Amino acid sequence: MATTTITKTEKLVGKRIRRREDPRLITGTATYVDDIKMPGMLYAAILRSPHAAAKIRSIDVSKAAALKGVTAVFTGKDTEQAGAVPCGASLPGLRVPHHHLLAIDRVYLVGHPVAVVVATDRYIARDGADLIEVDYEPETAVADPEKALEPGAHAVHPQWPDNVAFTFHQEGGDTEKAFKEADVIVKQRIVSQRLVPNPMETRGVVADWRAAERSMNLYSSTQVPHLVRSLVAQILGMDENRFRVVAPEVGGGFGAKLQIYAEEILLAYISKKLQKPVKWIESRRENFLCTIHGRGHVDYYELAAKRDGTITGIKLKIIQDLGAYFTLLTPAIPTLSVLMMPGLYRTPNISADIVGAFTNCTPTDAYRGAGRPEATHGIERMVDMVAAELKMDPAEIRLKNFVRNEEFPFPTATGLVYDSGDYSAPLKKAMEMASYDALRKEQVEARKQGKFMGIGLCAYGEICAFGPSPATPAGGWESATVKIEPSGKVTVLTGVSPHGQGEETTFAQIAGDELGVDIDDILVSHGDTSLVQYGIGTFGSRSTAVGGTALYFALQDLKAKIKKFGAMLLESEDVTFSDGKCVCNKTGKSCSVKEVAAAAYRAMKLPPNTEPGLVATHFWEPPNFTFPFGAHLVVTEVDRDTGGVSIRRYVAVDDCGNILNPLIVDGQVHGGVAQGIGQALWEQAVYDDSGQLVTGEFMDYTMPRAHMMPWIESGHTITPTPVNPLGVKGVGEAGTIGASPAVVNSVVDALSPLGVRHLDMPLTPEKLWKLIASKDQAGSNA
Amino acid sequence: MKISGSYFLPLPPEEAYKKLQDPDVLAGAMPGCESLEKIGDDEYRMKMKMALASLSGNFDGKVRITEQTPPESFKLMVEGSGKVGFMKGEGVLKFTPKDAGTEVSYEGDVQVGGTIAAVGQRLIDGTAKMMIKRFFEKVAA
Amino acid sequence: MIPQRFEYSAPKTLDEALGLLAEGAKPLAGGMSLIPMMKLRLAAPEHLVDLGRIKDLSYIREQGGSIHIGATATHHDVESSALLRGKCPLLAETASHIGDVQVRNMGTIGGSVAHADPSADYPAALQALEAKLVLKGVKSERTVSAEEFFVDTFTTALEPGEIVREVIVPVDGDGTGTSYQKVLQPASGFAIVGIAARVRKSGEKITLVRIGVTGLANRAFRATAAEKSLEGKTGSAAEVQAAAAVVAQGVEANSDLHASADYRKHLAVVYAVKALNAALSRIA
Repeated sequence: MATTTITKTEKLVGKRIRRREDPRLITGTATYVDDIKMPGMLYAAILRSPHAAAKIRSIDVSKAAALKGVTAVFTGKDTEQAGAVPCGASLPGLRVPHHHLLAIDRVYLVGHPVAVVVATDRYIARDGADLIEVDYEPETAVADPEKALEPGAHAVHPQWPDNVAFTFHQEGGDTEKAFKEADVIVKQRIVSQRLVPNPMETRGVVADWRAAERSMNLYSSTQVPHLVRSLVAQILGMDENRFRVVAPEVGGGFGAKLQIYAEEILLAYISKKLQKPVKWIESRRENFLCTIHGRGHVDYYELAAKRDGTITGIKLKIIQDLGAYFTLLTPAIPTLSVLMMPGLYRTPNISADIVGAFTNCTPTDAYRGAGRPEATHGIERMVDMVAAELKMDPAEIRLKNFVRNEEFPFPTATGLVYDSGDYSAPLKKAMEMASYDALRKEQVEARKQGKFMGIGLCAYGEICAFGPSPATPAGGWESATVKIEPSGKVTVLTGVSPHGQGEETTFAQIAGDELGVDIDDILVSHGDTSLVQYGIGTFGSRSTAVGGTALYFALQDLKAKIKKFGAMLLESEDVTFSDGKCVCNKTGKSCSVKEVAAAAYRAMKLPPNTEPGLVATHFWEPPNFTFPFGAHLVVTEVDRDTGGVSIRRYVAVDDCGNILNPLIVDGQVHGGVAQGIGQALWEQAVYDDSGQLVTGEFMDYTMPRAHMMPWIESGHTITPTPVNPLGVKGVGEAGTIGASPAVVNSVVDALSPLGVRHLDMPLTPEKLWKLIASKDQAGSNA
Repeated sequence: MKISGSYFLPLPPEEAYKKLQDPDVLAGAMPGCESLEKIGDDEYRMKMKMALASLSGNFDGKVRITEQTPPESFKLMVEGSGKVGFMKGEGVLKFTPKDAGTEVSYEGDVQVGGTIAAVGQRLIDGTAKMMIKRFFEKVAA
Repeated sequence: MIPQRFEYSAPKTLDEALGLLAEGAKPLAGGMSLIPMMKLRLAAPEHLVDLGRIKDLSYIREQGGSIHIGATATHHDVESSALLRGKCPLLAETASHIGDVQVRNMGTIGGSVAHADPSADYPAALQALEAKLVLKGVKSERTVSAEEFFVDTFTTALEPGEIVREVIVPVDGDGTGTSYQKVLQPASGFAIVGIAARVRKSGEKITLVRIGVTGLANRAFRATAAEKSLEGKTGSAAEVQAAAAVVAQGVEANSDLHASADYRKHLAVVYAVKALNAALSRIA
């Protein structure tokens, strides 16, 4: 991929600049949690339940405690008073199970933590855990959300025999009328299967209690260090100002690390108890079981439409598989699906219901897209089905129903206000890039030869830049500090916590342009609560749109101050600051940022009403979300003999507003598309009837790999957002949201000559082969 | 996981029925069985050492025989748990006279939990079949 | 992912290694199956004997009209061997389908066949090649056929204390074509079904057909009915189809999350056609 070399006076924003964080990552020199070593450090291993539902009759830790090298063993009784795993989401009537850090008298999922063994090395800790004897009384489990809601199902929590955690209803417009007056109504059950997020780095925690300073230092692989600090300190009754959380290098999160996990609380508790640093590193096996899962929807859709293709109403019932207990945002995720259920379409009438179901499974929570991939998958499948019903081209029906350019800001039936858009532009561009009409002609020929060739479209929209604080559980603003040091070097402290998104580069581009300094003179720091002012973190495609905007405003404050010092040094009132220089407009004399910095810190003389130093901090509250959009077009072929799907072409046109760094935007789209294709074709968290996760390792859970990916033809349209001065909308989740419906629509299109109208993911070869074989059979019998 | 199959024993049904309830026969035939100790009517405690390729593990478990309808059928339940997980098998054995011997058919459920369930997914079916085959071969021997 | 404590020996000679194995130690070759199991504590050998340092155990050489492959030759060695590519291309081709690059760099032929995973790739080729395996114990050495060697799921003819010392494959002269065709299980890279075909022609007439099948059943096997069906024919499309159709006949097929027994049997037929056609097209 070509990158650009920057000459000094050129703008950095908009250039394909290579990520400044990459050299340390690809040379293996970055510091992750497991790289942290401390004198006297102990290691924790966690014993976890092999049963999905069981009573605990007794726990015998005596053999483990007696093992040489074991320092301590903790069970639920020891930590019962320490606190519980918090849930930050609230809904009316929500039933929140109290999730102890360690099981007390029952376990309700495979992987439920039962005991912690702390030892002088990690091998002994694991040996110790193996020596603990737990007498379980297994019970019947329930692993399927629809089965959990059936009368007589096993109660995940005995106090709530119906397994219903909450119900939620929302409507807009007059849906009943729309359905009464509809020419066609299309109904479909659509499953968005459970997925395992699988960041490359599993979770890990080092807790280091320093008795002399009465301070806790907690290193955790997290996306939200400040939230971890506030909540863990609060839960354990520690002083927040003496509680430091550091997110060192974080090897991916995808929402799975937007959490407060039991281990973070446990390790802090244990470190203080033992007065020693303690480390715990999650194994991959634990990651599959004990880190959140994503998706887990069963959706019942109904769409009402007029004969001309106008979509007049949407009804949706979501059954959300919540898992056995809540993590930080579990019950809130399906409400995001409701917000985005109209997609990019004008539809004024919606009615939505959610039933949150407890199951004996891992909790579901935010996974790349969090609620929006499910919503987009649903509406984009349904629109294709309406098009098929009306014998319309899938592009035509979309173009007909898109919110029109003159209607922005557009209030949706779900209560949002779409900021800006030109929804037909990416779809038209994708069709042009793919030569849509020629593809349709080719498809006619292919079908004559008995080939299953499909063309799939998806026009997606998403909510990003979380978000206005009233709409976000823990505040939705973001913060930035910019410091110009006495030497003229620049330090940016951002409240977001990048872990692969590349903000060390994009934020340096923003600061470099505003201050006119060399990108190599800028350091972007994050993730350490003792270094960085309070911040919210990285999730929901918010870092650049919210955190970047906070940085932009901090830079404006700082520029004003630079100008004051410049005026003083140049002894002129008529001074302009640009390209890193203050210039006197009368004399043409100038001084550099470096000279200003030296003067500001030496402070021999100060401008009127001005303090020494060059530091500015800004906390920015966004007035709205942003709403990126785009269109993906996928050409597939299904092998009649094996049911295998091959992706012949993948065209992705995204509109994420202004683009700060096209290389990073492409990277985000590529990664997202890989995860979306993963859901469409391969990935699935499969539980058996007894609640065992049978795809609990990479042997059976199919992660998309480089060699399985198609070439992605990327394109962009640019519609800046008015919500922030950078005009950026966010792109972290776009690929994931656009990919799964585009792929599935393509395969359904391929098999449509067999009468196929819908297929649930993942589209495994066997599923398609069985379908083809049964239709062929039916055809030959007819 | 559902399992089913049948095996021919060159014995009349009455004898086949008895043989498959004889603790000494069971102890000798169950793959990996190290000891079988009577703890009640038709209930035994069992220690097993399973070894398959590089996999190995010790299991403590129980064998229970119920729903006896001699010489036609009974229900056999085997369960065991160890560090690597647990397993539980339950099935009805039916005895039908055939060619001067008995066809023993079985139908039941095998449940596997813990680490083996997550990593041995693709092998559980084949392994269960192999174990059952070995069991009957030893019974017949 | 933390194994239990174990002892580790890395002897320099085969005799030393066999001595330790006779005392109950477990051999470690490439470790591609054993090490993950140990990390999960599903395997907990007390004593590991690493065969990797033994001199003269990793070789590929022609000897008396056959090719002899030492136990610790890696999949990469087999895949890239000019000798095998020239004189026994089926084995090299099969090796190229195993796992991924990292696995092929570490995994060994001896370790793979001794493990006898029912979905491993090599056994299909070894069956089709009617390979011989030399099994060595502290006091014994014997040679068995692939047919005798692969007994059942993870079960081979190896006695305790024995290792696979060498694999012997034939050199096929002109007139023979081979191919390995595999349906990959995308998560693990193992074969859902793998078909190794070896076909010899004299003039227009097919004089020998060998078909090795892996992934389908409890062990890799030779599809003899399909072989017989094609022998004596010319290899027309209809004849190939007819032969492939009986590849899975009477087989009690494996079933798992990734492929049911019926689907596996169907794939075996489809891939047998592919493998036979490719083999026929490669006859020089």
